[in-house]
Amino acid sequence: MQSSLQTYLEGRIDFEGQNKVEKITRIALPGITATAFFAGLATQSLRLTFSLLGLATLALALMVVPQWPMYNEHPVKWLPVKDAKKKE
Amino acid sequence: MHSIYQRINNLSALLSSCVLSLLAAIALSSLLFTADPMGTLSIGSVKVYPGKARNFNEPRREHAFVRFNVSADLSPLFHWNTKQLFVYLGAEYANSAGVINDVVIWDRIVRRKEDAVINVSGKNKYIFKEVSSSFKAVEPAFYTLKYNVMPYVGALTYGEAARTDEPVVFPVVQDRV
Repeated sequence: MQSSLQTYLEGRIDFEGQNKVEKITRIALPGITATAFFAGLATQSLRLTFSLLGLATLALALMVVPQWPMYNEHPVKWLPVKDAKKKE
Repeated sequence: MHSIYQRINNLSALLSSCVLSLLAAIALSSLLFTADPMGTLSIGSVKVYPGKARNFNEPRREHAFVRFNVSADLSPLFHWNTKQLFVYLGAEYANSAGVINDVVIWDRIVRRKEDAVINVSGKNKYIFKEVSSSFKAVEPAFYTLKYNVMPYVGALTYGEAARTDEPVVFPVVQDRV
């Protein structure tokens, strides 16, 4: 139980997953900011701007921070262990 | 990016840059709104009475009493980045020593767009004294209605909504009524 909780909190994802997370964050966060700005400018409401930014950022965090299975689809394939004893 | 903490760090680092640029964009967006509302200001009467000064070296100090009518619709100044307005009525004159004074005699803070229509006929809210203790030989004064726009983010901006057409003369001092 404790070890599974620890693994979840550590939340390791594979290299492909890391790349995906990086790309999603790089595109989504500036997009959210620009949307929030123009939505607020159009409705003349700063409250809308900042609530939109906050809620969308929380949703994005929920999407990229936990260890979702889609970030663990390409585990690293290690080479088989060589039999070291043969050489001796 | 391999662990949860690294992903939180990455997200919050980019978020701080985004928030800063959002704030800068909001501050710059104030430049898009260039409302310049004009109102009217007329001075009903100006009276000068002698009064006691707290300073012992100057036992007598003259006080001016100004009655004015102000009407201005400042609601165009309210946009998404306006927190409040500071509206003030000032008297601009050069005193006998030639020093140009700008004395605030009345003000009001407008916090909501609904309250931005100003229709006031009143008298000076603050004591109107001359530094030289007398209004004798003081130039006639222009009265102005000015405002500050205080934004949520960005720079404070100033403006003038009304000004008397003619300078108003300070009358000779009267005895106390």
